[in-house]
Amino acid sequence: MLWKKMIRDIWGNKGSYLACLVLVIIGLLIFTSFSIAGDNLSLSQEDFYREQNFAHGFAEITSMPYRELERLSEVEGIEQISGRVKKQARVTRPEGEVGVYLELVSMDLEDPERVNDVRLLEGSELRAGEFEVWIDDQFFDTYRLEQGYRLEIIAGGRARELIVEGVAMSPEFTYPLRTEGEIYPNPEQYGIAFISRDAMWSLFPELQGRVNNVVFTLVHGADFDQVKNRLEPELEPYGLINLYPREDQTSHLILSEEVAQLQRMSTVIPIMFLSVAGLILYIMLKRLVEQQRGQIGILKAFGYSNREVTLHYLAYALTVGFIGGLLGGLAGIYLANPLTWLLLEFFHVPETYEGFSLYYLLLGLIISLAIFLVAGYQGCKYALRLKPAEAMRPPAPISGKKTVLEKIGLFSAMLTIQGKMAVRNLGRNRSRSAFLFLGMTLSCAVVIVTWSLNDIIDKLVFYQYEEVEVHDARITLTEPLSPDPVTIELTGHDEVTMVEPLAEVPVKLSHAWREENVLVLGIPEGSSLYVIRDAAGRRVPTPERGVILSERLADKLHVSPGSTLELESPYLRNGEEPVLVDVCRVIPQYLGMNAYMEITGLIDLLDQGSFATSFMVNVDGTSGPDDPGGDSRTISIASLRDRYRESEQVAAVDGLEERVREARELMETFGVVIYIYVLFGMVMAFSIIYSSSFIILSERNRELASMKVLGMTSREVFSVITFEQWFISVFAILAGLPLAQMMMMAFARELSTDLYTLPAELSAQALLMGAIITIASISIAQQFALRKVRKLDLVEVLKTRE
Amino acid sequence: MELIVARNIHKRYQMGEVTVHALRGVDFTLYDRELVVVLGHSGSGKSTLVNIVGGMDLASEGELYFKDRPLHNAGEAELTGYRRDQVGFIFQFYNLMPNLTAYENVHLSVQIAKDPLDIDALLEQVGLIDRREHFPSQLSGGEQQRVAIARALAKNPQLLLCDEPTGSLDLPTGKQILKLLRDFCDQYNKAVVIITHNTNISYMADRVIYLKDGLVEEIKENPEPLPPEKVSW
Ligand SMILES: Nc1ncnc2c1ncn2[C@@H]1O[C@H](COP(=O)(O)OP(=O)(O)OP(=O)(O)O)[C@@H](O)[C@H]1O
Ligand SMILES: [Mg+2]
Repeated sequence: MLWKKMIRDIWGNKGSYLACLVLVIIGLLIFTSFSIAGDNLSLSQEDFYREQNFAHGFAEITSMPYRELERLSEVEGIEQISGRVKKQARVTRPEGEVGVYLELVSMDLEDPERVNDVRLLEGSELRAGEFEVWIDDQFFDTYRLEQGYRLEIIAGGRARELIVEGVAMSPEFTYPLRTEGEIYPNPEQYGIAFISRDAMWSLFPELQGRVNNVVFTLVHGADFDQVKNRLEPELEPYGLINLYPREDQTSHLILSEEVAQLQRMSTVIPIMFLSVAGLILYIMLKRLVEQQRGQIGILKAFGYSNREVTLHYLAYALTVGFIGGLLGGLAGIYLANPLTWLLLEFFHVPETYEGFSLYYLLLGLIISLAIFLVAGYQGCKYALRLKPAEAMRPPAPISGKKTVLEKIGLFSAMLTIQGKMAVRNLGRNRSRSAFLFLGMTLSCAVVIVTWSLNDIIDKLVFYQYEEVEVHDARITLTEPLSPDPVTIELTGHDEVTMVEPLAEVPVKLSHAWREENVLVLGIPEGSSLYVIRDAAGRRVPTPERGVILSERLADKLHVSPGSTLELESPYLRNGEEPVLVDVCRVIPQYLGMNAYMEITGLIDLLDQGSFATSFMVNVDGTSGPDDPGGDSRTISIASLRDRYRESEQVAAVDGLEERVREARELMETFGVVIYIYVLFGMVMAFSIIYSSSFIILSERNRELASMKVLGMTSREVFSVITFEQWFISVFAILAGLPLAQMMMMAFARELSTDLYTLPAELSAQALLMGAIITIASISIAQQFALRKVRKLDLVEVLKTRE
Repeated sequence: MELIVARNIHKRYQMGEVTVHALRGVDFTLYDRELVVVLGHSGSGKSTLVNIVGGMDLASEGELYFKDRPLHNAGEAELTGYRRDQVGFIFQFYNLMPNLTAYENVHLSVQIAKDPLDIDALLEQVGLIDRREHFPSQLSGGEQQRVAIARALAKNPQLLLCDEPTGSLDLPTGKQILKLLRDFCDQYNKAVVIITHNTNISYMADRVIYLKDGLVEEIKENPEPLPPEKVSW
């Protein structure tokens, strides 16, 4: 019998229960799908690393005899060590619209225990010494290659042919980026080719019998830093450029970050949704119990025990928790695999786990039931205390009171009578007003933060390419050259309008015991192609002496302008002796993490003759409204690229506009995700307002009906409720702004890496959109609730005393 | 002048399988400046009838005119306008807004009226001028009912409908209320309908409509209505 009562009660108020249910479903859906996908990804990652013997340490060196490896494997703490030759080569067939490059990585076919082994997905074994390669799967798919395909490349200044023998994957290239400045892989421009060591030596005769890249695994329990200290002196004579642990390896860093982020989101977002749902339910049950006190008295008078009555009301909560938990959990399981596939689209990890995990379903159910048990119990514990006789008496009449606010004469003079009712109602139920306030604050903040992700991504990419690196193309050399003759040659081409040299020098900067390996960019004084800017966007001149650091780098080194750093580099003439350099400025940098110097100052510091590692050029071509795609510039860059197709000294010609265009495309994918989150924020605001309207309607239906009898329209009557909601919401939206700022700062801190730094600022547009979207959700929810006022049965409501 | 004309009013309530026939063809006419008492036993359909006349509910069948304006097929908006401009309601349970003062409760209806009466004058008339800042919970039942009357009158309606206005009051307080209703009828020349099952109250009416089982049993003119002070029960 009581079940029937419950179902009728729920049905009678289905809107609010449904709102509550939707929140639970969203929460649990995110919980299960994100948890499972995170697990899938992290287990696949672990498996892949174990099976391919993924390195714990990586070292880039200028070059070292191959036989030295034997000796290095004796270094204490190293388990296995492999030496490779790694070189980038330009591809001439297949040809892409812009430059296509292959990372050639040598494999020691005789060594059965290779570190960073390559997994062959399809195809046949490589033969030592033959020009045969395995290609990474994305490049292979992008260009629709086949086994036997003849790739043409320029290696060491000579055109060569490589035969594709298979498709492969390596843990080293789960997220392959060609240069530091990129943030996502681009298989159209960059692929990985694995080749036998002997063949590699034939391609690059100058490296015959040598390696330029060393990877090693550690014995169990060894400490990387200790091994590093032992290994460094061994490698330094061979031009050690960089020695870093797995944690700093780009692919690993990004993949692990993604997994960690999934796990974070799989808890934070569901908690948010479930708490709001729990609060709504708590308030609804509390109201229900108050409304049904007469019924409770009768039940108790019949002889129902306290426990039975409480259980009856708890059942409302648990039903919602259970149905929501089950539906959300099942939907989450259903979506977990598509989500995993989607993630694997971004990361080259062979999928080994495809979870159908009942564990998260059960865990989710338990969490949701627990939350609803607490919310439900808090909501209905009042029913327990009621004595039967007391329960059947009507509740104490509501006593009116003027509020403190009204003491402010001007304020009360501004209020209509409906306004006065609303303001007094606010004080009538403080905890509910507080809930409404908190809920709206949270929804508004969620919308603002997600909306500003748009701006942030925008800033991340476009700031760097449109404000800082303001050149059309970058020509990267295979080895440093004296700048003047090259500048003269480049300026001589018709399509080139401006040329400036750039020196990119790998250095180790240290301050006390902190050290960081970064690139110092040497930029010509007063450069118009590379503009360093301060936080306000003003141009910062390159100092003659001293170095400019990016904010993140300065933070990591714990330095500020005025500090002195030690600088080591394989480019230093006297090799091992570090030199001192002053920090003269700290600037924001969103993409990458660099240090900057004036080019001649840098060269003086290194005690070298003048050199450049790449050249920035502007090319002919109109831009602006007539030519939004920058086609004529693309043509100029292509012709420049053609000129140096066969050159041994030019490693790459990169058009920056291409990058921006591609970044834009990527942004659109992100956009969808952002809109989904914004939608979540809206659902939350909607549910809160909708259920709050419902509760108020049921609580005051008598008052509202009386007003309708007086001849007020439904809208006028409803304005009492909306006034109350708007009154709270205005303050909630205002409070949402600082909350959003705080969330944004936490976000920026959590998500920033050496590859990119998220700016923790909210744009005016995001704030505005947050407010507008919240206001829109409120209005929509109110429109739905208004229908209830329209349908209010006057005769029925007024017939009896409450 | 004819204010309300009701022709063959039926009201049926569908309760699952059972149909309750609350009104089965009621005919009557209501003139301005008269005080009418509708008398009948509990369940005879009094409230149902008055709710239909007041535009709170629609008849299942029949015709209803207010000053020749048909109301039986009026929409929601038209009924709201009718209630707003022409009708005042008074209930057994006063239905005041608990969080508005006496004055504000009256002001609530003045706000939507086209030609409202003066609030303080009305409060003066119902004897509550010095309680104008009090909330309903600080007033007695009789005082609350007087605020409710002031609220209904303040809109200056053509027609005042009172459903058991004295139902929960004692005799002296009840008489005060009835006197206010009589005065309103006489002073402002408006029609007043009082529903009751108390025969004694019918002695103060100009006309009495007897309702029985959803039908008008009899309509009686009272040539010499008793002043409310003389009514007793
Ligand atoms: N909403 C409803 N649903 C079903 N039946 C109803 C409804 N409202 C009224 N009735 C029925 O219509 C009939 C008339 O009811 P009404 O309230 O008009 O009587 P009344 O004369 O006002 O009685 P009372 O003096 O007790 O107030 C009754 O039999 C009642 O049961
Ligand atoms: Mg009645």
